[in-house]
Order: sequence, then C-alpha cells, then structure tokens
Amino acid sequence: MSESKTAGMFSGRESEGLVLVVDDEPDVRKVVRMILEKSGYDVVEAEDGEKGIEEIKKGENSILLNLIITDIRMPNMNGIDVINYYKKQWPSIPIIVLTGFPDLEMATTMLQHGVADYLVKPVESDKLRASVAKAFEERKVPGF
Amino acid sequence: MSNRDRTTVVILGAGKGGMAVLELLTHLPGVEIAGITDQSAAAPGLQYASQLGIPITQDLVSLISLQGINLIVNVTGDPHLDLLIATHKNPETEVLGGFASKVLWDFVQHASQIQSQLFQTEKLAGMGTFASGIAHDINNPLYILLAFAQNILEETDVSRIHEQTRSIMEAGKRIQGICQHITQYARSTNADNTTAVEVNDKLDEALNIARYATTLQDLSIVRRYGEHVEVFVNPGELFQVLVNLMTNAIHAMERKGTLTLSTCCENGVGKISIADTGSGIPTENLEKIFDPFFTTKPPGQGTGLGLHNVKAIIKKYRGELKVESEVGKGTTFTIELPRSSI
Repeated sequence: MSESKTAGMFSGRESEGLVLVVDDEPDVRKVVRMILEKSGYDVVEAEDGEKGIEEIKKGENSILLNLIITDIRMPNMNGIDVINYYKKQWPSIPIIVLTGFPDLEMATTMLQHGVADYLVKPVESDKLRASVAKAFEERKVPGF
Repeated sequence: MSNRDRTTVVILGAGKGGMAVLELLTHLPGVEIAGITDQSAAAPGLQYASQLGIPITQDLVSLISLQGINLIVNVTGDPHLDLLIATHKNPETEVLGGFASKVLWDFVQHASQIQSQLFQTEKLAGMGTFASGIAHDINNPLYILLAFAQNILEETDVSRIHEQTRSIMEAGKRIQGICQHITQYARSTNADNTTAVEVNDKLDEALNIARYATTLQDLSIVRRYGEHVEVFVNPGELFQVLVNLMTNAIHAMERKGTLTLSTCCENGVGKISIADTGSGIPTENLEKIFDPFFTTKPPGQGTGLGLHNVKAIIKKYRGELKVESEVGKGTTFTIELPRSSI
C-alpha cells in the first residue's frame, strides 16, 4: 500500500470508519487511537475480548464497526481462541492482530484463519495505517 | 569379608580434602565407609559424616586396625602417619595416600569444575526458551515509547507532551526492569557462597524469569508461602534449580494451567514444592527424567541436562528431590533442604 494513496484516502473530514482496539495495556490503546484518529478514524477501546464484544454491541457500534485491531494475549483467552471468538460473533469484520510476539509460525496460523494482517509491536505508524487502509479496502470489495 | 564387588574404606582426615573424598565416595554404590577420623573434632567432614550415619572416631589406631578394611584413604597430608599406618594396618589392607591421594583430590576438584561449567552451559542454553517471552515483554513498552516519541516531534500541546513523556519514561523503566531480571539470572553462578537463603524471595525471583517461558498460555499463579522459610544453600544454584523446575512446569501446561508454589518448614527442613496442572510424566519416563541427556522435547529445545543438574545440586546440599506425577493431571516436584549448615 503506497503512502500517497493512504494520505489521499484520509483527506476528507467525515469519519473514515470505526475501529475497535483491544489490548490489555492502556498506553498501547492510547497509541493506536492516536495514530488512527490522526488519519480520521473513530476508535472504540476495550481491555479484553469480552469487553470488546460488549463495546461493539453498544448502541449502533455493531452496525458501524469496520475493523478490529487486537492483541492475542489477553486474560482468559489467548492466541487463536481470540480470533475464533470475534469470527463467531462477526464473521465479516476484518481483524488485524497487533502483538509483541515476533512469531512466524503464529503469524502463518493467524493468516490462515482469515486474519487480515499480523503486525508485531513496535510497528511503524505508517505501516499500521497502510494495513488498516488495506483491510478497509478489502472489506469494501464484496459490496458492503 | 573381602569381596571384589564391595570395598570397605576408612578415611583419615576430615578437612576440605576428607570432606570432598567423603562426598565422592558416598555417591559410589560399591563403596562402604566404615569410619572417618580427624585430629580436630570441629572438622567439617566429621559433622557431615555424622549426618550420613558414618562412624566417627578420635582413635586413629583402632580405625586403621579394623578388621575387614580394604582401603585406607589418607588425606591428612601428614607424612608422619605413614609409619603409624604401616605398623597397625592389616596386611591385606591397601593404603591410598601421598601422591595418590593428591591425585584423587585433584580429580575431585576437576570434576566439580566440570560440573560448574555444565550448570552454566545448561543455564545459557535454557535462555533460548525465554527469548520469545522476553521479546514480547520488551516489544510492548518499546512500542509505546517509540510511538509517543514520534508523536512528540510533531505535537504542539504542552500538556500532551508532558503526559506522553511520562508514558515514555514508564515504558523505559519497564524495559529496564526486564533487563535487570535477565542479568540477575545470567550472572547467578554456583561460585557464590553457601548461606541462609530466604526461599520465598528466591521463588519470586525465579518466577520473573520462568514467566518468559510462557508464550500464549493462560497461566494462573498460586502462592502458598510459609513464613520465613530458609534453607542453607548457594543462592545462585537455588535460583537455577527453581527456574528450571518452574520452566518445565510451564512447558508442561500447553494452553491453560495453574502453577502452585508452596513453601513450609518441617523439623529443621525447608520444603519447596512446584506443582503444575500439565500433561504429567508417564510412569515409564519417571525413572529416566534425572538421567543426563534424557529429554522429551524436540531436538534443539532441551539439553536434557536440566533435571540432572537440579538433582545434583539438591544432593550436594544433602537435600531430597521428590516427584509425583499423573498423566493428564499434572506434576509436583518437592525439594527438601536443610535449614542450617552442616
């Protein structure tokens, strides 16, 4: 994903879309929110998968939600379980994994399970934005 | 009495050399120690021998002239004893003294040096199993640190700059803490002095390291610590023993599990137990787990020396290492170590 295209996409004043950010570390959520808000996205935060689902179900969020960015090590749930959990609730919402584990095997498994991207912290802000933009584009393709 | 399968030995001298020889010989199944003596009643080997139930005497001559002795090991280094031994020993009793006992002493020293290198090698090889966990724990604060720093370059709001700088400092301190744990472990050696060690503190220190062995397990830790549980050991070696047992326990629990750490004192003995709710050890493997190079881990992931070293360390301090395991339910290792010096 080229940078110019990303910049072009986010030039409008309307919200680019709603992203749920799930991570047990408040500062990580803050960082991701900061990066995405700069690019015009709205962000909903949750500290774990269960709370994330609650957040999505609140009000109109579940209709508006476009993307989930999630850690895969969380209280009560880990790894592929986290992904399956979201997939069961919302099969059509793309998921980007953002984790501290630089694990190629895990990344491959995740991608095979339909994850849009596997990003390892510390990920460059541009790379995160590009990955989010790509996930959004792919979601638009089936005709939403 | 004289039998080729069994050698009855007496030891003259219970200082450093006598102690080392005693330690070596008690591990040999074919050797029976009939007695030990030293001029000084305070010699460390005498106390050790009395714990092992080996007869102690101050009467050198009667010890030398005991019937049925195959070998006298003289580690006193005192040349005047040679004549005395020659005069009073039974004709069939052999004597190991002078240069021969010096070579034996060198051999014991050499073996202990190799053992110490083996501990260090095993420890460093084991560091590999922590790499992924350490990377995870560093990458999280590192992300916070780098992202906020990048933002501050463009940020104009002073209060936000201050807030994010505080987050950066906190993230930096977390990384610092991780580095301290790792260096503390890497530097722990068996060259430290034997001393009274507070077990509960050591368990927590070891957990700081063993925690890195988890990747994506959902792990609960239960602590059942008794008050002031002390054991008399080398702190570096105990650290290594605990990290080793905890790491094994964590690896045995594939997805979910509970690691229970318990300590207590009973009759002058400090007891530590490390229990997991993992896969358990099949009965046919229970006898082999302490053998050197026995491992069930895939090639490159285990040296097979971990439990062998653990047992060697515990044995060195006259301790006991017990294991109970049930396949599918879990494994409990229990260490018992003396609370005071011998």
